[in-house]
Amino acid sequence: MEAIRYNDMDFSLEKEGDRWNLTFKLANGSSAVAGTGLFGGLTEGEARTRALALIKTIFPVGVRSVGPDVMHPNMIGDLKIVGPDVAHPNFVYWNKDSVSSPRDL
Amino acid sequence: MEIKGSVVLVTGGGNGIGEAVVKYFASRGAKVAVVDMVQKNIDRVVKDVKEMGGEAVGIQANVTIEADVARFIKGTIEAFGKLNIAVSSAGIIRDGTMLSLDKETGQVSKKLGLDKWQAVIDTNLTGTFLTIRDAAEAMVNGGWPGLLVPISSVNKCGQVGQINYSSAKVADALMPKIIVGEFLMRGIRNVRCVAIAPGYTATPMLTGMNQDALKAILEDVHLGRLVAPEEIASMIGFCAENEALNATTIEITGGLCYPKGIAK
Repeated sequence: MEAIRYNDMDFSLEKEGDRWNLTFKLANGSSAVAGTGLFGGLTEGEARTRALALIKTIFPVGVRSVGPDVMHPNMIGDLKIVGPDVAHPNFVYWNKDSVSSPRDL
Repeated sequence: MEIKGSVVLVTGGGNGIGEAVVKYFASRGAKVAVVDMVQKNIDRVVKDVKEMGGEAVGIQANVTIEADVARFIKGTIEAFGKLNIAVSSAGIIRDGTMLSLDKETGQVSKKLGLDKWQAVIDTNLTGTFLTIRDAAEAMVNGGWPGLLVPISSVNKCGQVGQINYSSAKVADALMPKIIVGEFLMRGIRNVRCVAIAPGYTATPMLTGMNQDALKAILEDVHLGRLVAPEEIASMIGFCAENEALNATTIEITGGLCYPKGIAK
């Protein structure tokens, strides 16, 4: 069994026959299924690479910004450039890599 | 299109018709992507596919969110390398008449809320549009033979108490005509579109309802019973295999009629 930690999630890649099953842990500790019967015939290393690519696709890391902040546009001539509302309590200012993100936003 | 070896994506694949579609295609050697809002439903269906010896990926997503749709299309292709059939089965109901009257005064006492309207339009129409649009994009760019399957409903003809649902489902039923016409106009030949309009189907939502109400519904069904989800699934399988089926909406209702009369 291969353990894969991605962002703040724990995945398990387990071989069954010549194929692979991918599961992950939910926040409540229970297990959920991401895929079954995957990557037929691949070696452990190849399956791990494919699994990581799949995980990154299904569980992308990103920043949810809140906005737009229409009250404070940047003016370029007559053009208004409106950015996210950085003063909003739900705005996450994130200048580190994804692994260092807080677990509870 | 041969089902064995094809890749099938089903939204709402965690229960009801969607679950039956997933299992139908998995049992015939297709690789399946189970998309649903509820992770425990995904787990159950994917485990069933596993017991059948099939290949499945489960993706929790909301079809009304554009980024989620892009994610599950990309995830399916990441897992299986292509996409051939997309079934947009995710749907909800929020029934109610547009106006309700006070029995004593005859004045309007209640209006159908925008929340009930918007939720159904978002899921049943916008969700279908996003799923079909992004699946088509992948099929065209990948050059794979494709089939797009919006799920409409026999209630596209207009059902009282369902102005939201019927409005969405009649729009879903129209999609194949427009999409295939546009494909012809743009020179896209590898992707077909066939919508399915089920009648009253034996999903948990209907089988769990008041049995007297269910009996009253069945009095108007010539077949005398609910349509089985597996019968809907096999119709979609037939659509996949018969390439002459295109740009149309197929009703599968068991012969649903207006009370004591003409078939709907």
